Amino acid sequence: MTDRIRVLLAKPTQDCHDRGVRYVARKMRDAGLEVIFTNFLLASEIVDTAIEEDVQVVGISSSSGGHMPVFEDLIAGLKANGLEDVLLIGGGVIPKEDQESLKKWGVKAIFGPGATAEAAIEMIETHFGGSPGSTA
Amino acid sequence: MFDDKTLAKSKELAGIREAAYDKMLERFGNRAPAGARHPETQSGLPLKSCYFPHDIEHIDFEQLGAPGSYPFTRGNLAAQYQLMSWANQPVIGFGLPEHTRARMDLLAERGMIGYFGQRFYNLVYDLVSHEGLDPDHKAARGRIGQCGMAVYSKSDMARLFDGMDLTKMNVVHISYYQVIPALAQYIAYAEDQGVAPADLRGNSMNWYHQSAYTGMSSFNPDQGLKLAVSLIRYCAEHMPRWNTTNFFGYGVEEAGGNAIHENGLMLAFGIDLMRGCTAAGLTADQVLPRFGFQIAQANDFFEEVCKIRALRRIWATTMKEQFGATDDRAMHVRIHTHTSGACLTAQQPLVNLIRTTLHAFGAALSGTQSMEVSAYDEALAIPTEDSATLALRVQQVIQEETNVTAVSDPLAGSYYVEALTDQMATSALELVEQIEAQGGYVAAQQSGWIRRQVENSASRWRDMIDDGQKRIVGMNCHIVEEDEQSEPTFKVDEEVERIAIERIVELREKRDAKRYEKAIAAFADSTQALAKTNLADFNGHGLMETAIEAARADATTGEMMGVMKTAFGWAAPHEY
Repeated sequence: MTDRIRVLLAKPTQDCHDRGVRYVARKMRDAGLEVIFTNFLLASEIVDTAIEEDVQVVGISSSSGGHMPVFEDLIAGLKANGLEDVLLIGGGVIPKEDQESLKKWGVKAIFGPGATAEAAIEMIETHFGGSPGSTA
Repeated sequence: MFDDKTLAKSKELAGIREAAYDKMLERFGNRAPAGARHPETQSGLPLKSCYFPHDIEHIDFEQLGAPGSYPFTRGNLAAQYQLMSWANQPVIGFGLPEHTRARMDLLAERGMIGYFGQRFYNLVYDLVSHEGLDPDHKAARGRIGQCGMAVYSKSDMARLFDGMDLTKMNVVHISYYQVIPALAQYIAYAEDQGVAPADLRGNSMNWYHQSAYTGMSSFNPDQGLKLAVSLIRYCAEHMPRWNTTNFFGYGVEEAGGNAIHENGLMLAFGIDLMRGCTAAGLTADQVLPRFGFQIAQANDFFEEVCKIRALRRIWATTMKEQFGATDDRAMHVRIHTHTSGACLTAQQPLVNLIRTTLHAFGAALSGTQSMEVSAYDEALAIPTEDSATLALRVQQVIQEETNVTAVSDPLAGSYYVEALTDQMATSALELVEQIEAQGGYVAAQQSGWIRRQVENSASRWRDMIDDGQKRIVGMNCHIVEEDEQSEPTFKVDEEVERIAIERIVELREKRDAKRYEKAIAAFADSTQALAKTNLADFNGHGLMETAIEAARADATTGEMMGVMKTAFGWAAPHEY
């Protein structure tokens, strides 16, 4: 049980478009990942949850803009707490030019409109070099 | 509706046709699409592959009636669009109030028009305002003037409406849980212009019920119901022309619910809200004429048309039978159509123009009262001037060129349309029954039951796309290699954040501090009183009155919402 990959999916509370991320959460659970889903107001809340829940992956869903400050604060917060190894991914409506900046900042993948939940699961699996339900 | 001879012939011909159809199916064997054998609607209701008179023999002609007569299946009024077309009501809102105003003026200049030559401005507030914050809050960064206008105070109202005659227009405030502060600021601004609340026309959303299925933080649902009744009560006494409550069915379909969920949830909430209004001493005829609906028009063309016809029927019969509505206007479903956003794709975005045209056409055939057509680039960003204009042109082409405006309820009498309308009505009433058995809408909201229904439906929809059962052009079929975002997309001016923050800081510095302190304290007292009372002992507790005084004293949305969050509880919806 302890070797299941733990994923935190988070959505800004200002952004009502949570249909996609809730679907992804469901699919990840079906695939055997441990998924915590939460809304947040400030990026510091995601960092706190990431520490409390001891997650290996953090995914931010954003469909209404405002994602750049969130990632900026989140990355700084993770770093300040020694969590640089957490796999960071994003999804939703994120313009191409922002995606390029985010990748430079260390965000490993962005899953935009049309991407499947399976693609995100597969990406996580590959990153951890095992089956989706295991970090082994 | 048919005599025995017709029914006998109908069954005979249907039998012959079915036999021939089955033969064709047999010839196709495995190549026949699944839908050919078991056709169904997007909601999963079973369909026949062809309809006959006997398919509607169970429907009483009385249930259909006529446009303008109970139960209003065929429309609220005798005239549909012959005398006046539906109102163009595109959603507008981004950047500073001045940016939003420029877009309002642009669309007005391009022919956006409401009833009796007056304009309807459908204005959406930004993400900061929806969250009940001010722009200088830490969480506002990156969200100021995004997805709506940066309007947080009476002074911002002045920037937005400068020089406009408030008595000659209709303003829809697309505010979420900040509905009371936003209305208070509008009223306070109107007073400064010498316009009394009684002379204002427009809408407040009063959308507390949407936290059952949308993802933003909100007040505790119990408290939300009291807040909704407070606004309704104030308007019943002081703002006879103001539409108090909007039933946000659109949000149900956007969140992944189907057409049955949309109708059923809205009627279930209508029942709960009317129970609340009745407990607070308000009558059906007093409050119902100022309720309206925002309804989605999505991809299943006939189901979406029949959804609206069914909604008119079940709403009218329920409000009459259960709450004693006698005034026709208290039984009408007044609809603002919002063409589906969830059906649009980021892939091949221009194709969205075709989708929205079909959605708008269906809405016109169903007899909607006003319309917002999504812009083709909405899956990517805020609409540009050009895409917003094209969205308006979709409405105008249907209004001016197709002649569908000549006849009321033009699809009536189609065996298919009448049979499906009846099915939609029955299915929605079954859902209402399930919700009532749990103690009503708010109870089903608090238990998470409503959210689960909507989420399961969203999941079903996406699974059907992923396994190819449901085909979406550009997404899972007819795909082309394209440069991502080849269309120009809109960006909010980068200076907006700085200016909005400067303005709010300046407002706080310049206002009469004593008057503000007194007003916000009085508002806080009334929120505390309302929070502690129940609807049976409800007297309004001066909530709107103290909110208006706070707005006069230049209280900001963030400040007023801060007070309300303390009194009414505030959390992410899935935490209730």
